[in-house]
Amino acid sequence: MIGAVALFILLFVLNIFVSPIRNIFYALSFPIQKVFWNAGTSSSTFLGSLLNAGSLNNENNTLKQENQKLLSQVVVLQSLMQGNKAQSDVSAICQNAGFNLVMAGIVGLDDQDILSINKGSIDGISEGMPVINQQGVLFGKVLKVYKNFSQIMLISNKNSVINVKIQQNPTIEEGDVVTNEIIGVVKGSGGQRAYLDLVSISDTINPQDLLVTSAIEKLFPRDLLVAQIKQIQKNDQKPFQSASIQLFLDVKTVDNLFVITNFKR
Amino acid sequence: MTWQKVLITVFLFYIFALLQNSFFSYFSVFGAVPNLVFILFFLLVFFAKKNQLYQVLFPAICAGFFLDMFSYSYFGKYIILLLIIAILIKKTQSLLKSLDDNFPFIYFLPLFLIYYIIFEIFSSFTFNLGFLATIVYNLIVASGIYFVFKKYGYTKQ
Repeated sequence: MIGAVALFILLFVLNIFVSPIRNIFYALSFPIQKVFWNAGTSSSTFLGSLLNAGSLNNENNTLKQENQKLLSQVVVLQSLMQGNKAQSDVSAICQNAGFNLVMAGIVGLDDQDILSINKGSIDGISEGMPVINQQGVLFGKVLKVYKNFSQIMLISNKNSVINVKIQQNPTIEEGDVVTNEIIGVVKGSGGQRAYLDLVSISDTINPQDLLVTSAIEKLFPRDLLVAQIKQIQKNDQKPFQSASIQLFLDVKTVDNLFVITNFKR
Repeated sequence: MTWQKVLITVFLFYIFALLQNSFFSYFSVFGAVPNLVFILFFLLVFFAKKNQLYQVLFPAICAGFFLDMFSYSYFGKYIILLLIIAILIKKTQSLLKSLDDNFPFIYFLPLFLIYYIIFEIFSSFTFNLGFLATIVYNLIVASGIYFVFKKYGYTKQ
């Protein structure tokens, strides 16, 4: 009984100093963890190439076809978008310019989709900041900050819910280019997976539609890439439809991430 | 437990914690990675002698410490959870019918399954494919380590 009380008191006291303790622990573990992380990268690449050797040719052909399809879509879109080019350029500049980015290396990932990076409060990182990769794919937000390290909650974490826009190809109605804006939420389901939910039943969404961040909740900059719709689950008895999605984030293929340090919520 | 054993145990828990948070992230199945720290904790408690309480409490505190270190929630959550599980494991073992072999695989498998599910429920529970994958993946890895541990890692009473 006395032991239990002493343990509780000790844990309570430790919780007061937990940030510096964890920071020192991460700093000491960083070199070894980085070695293991790199070993994981090379091992999985090696094993992956062994396992997928047979399917590489098929995959290559599929990618070629997909590339051609995408190129043809780009041509069509370019002609459609000519009229809106100036406006697009302005919004692109507003979107991209002015973001201060801090590059950080990944050092770990736990089973609850919490990522560790090697930058912390001394690098100007604070809680809630968005984290992206170099292609502008949203990874998540900063959850905890220590002096030299930070923990990132991936958008696939079970507690993560973000508002998204479903981007569809523009259509031409009565000579005008019309782009439907459909809103939904992406909810994390763990294991680097998530699903789309709360899309109104009256909205039409399609497989392959892109999901990007919306500006509604102002947690993330708008138009960051999130995912692509795979399969839609629609039930007329429910007010909302959901869909399985393929997240663009892939922790295994990136070494560095970027924290947006000056995004104002 | 000699001080060498204590040092080796702490070192193994540390290395396993680092491995499961880095190396094994690349070998996830439906998002599931083997929880090496829990597996080692369970094995040490499972094979601990009945009358030596510190052999049960030490792995629980050590494993809990490293899990807490890599966690983002309150420090101490895993220490308390593993202490409770450790005591429950020994209680359950004492209720089971004694066999010639005190630590047979037939006892290990269901006990690991039950206590790992309890651990997962209190860690981060959502019933989905990932949860089932976590259970199966850890059960397979734990079974493998059980035989290695039994052959090299413990001395009969």
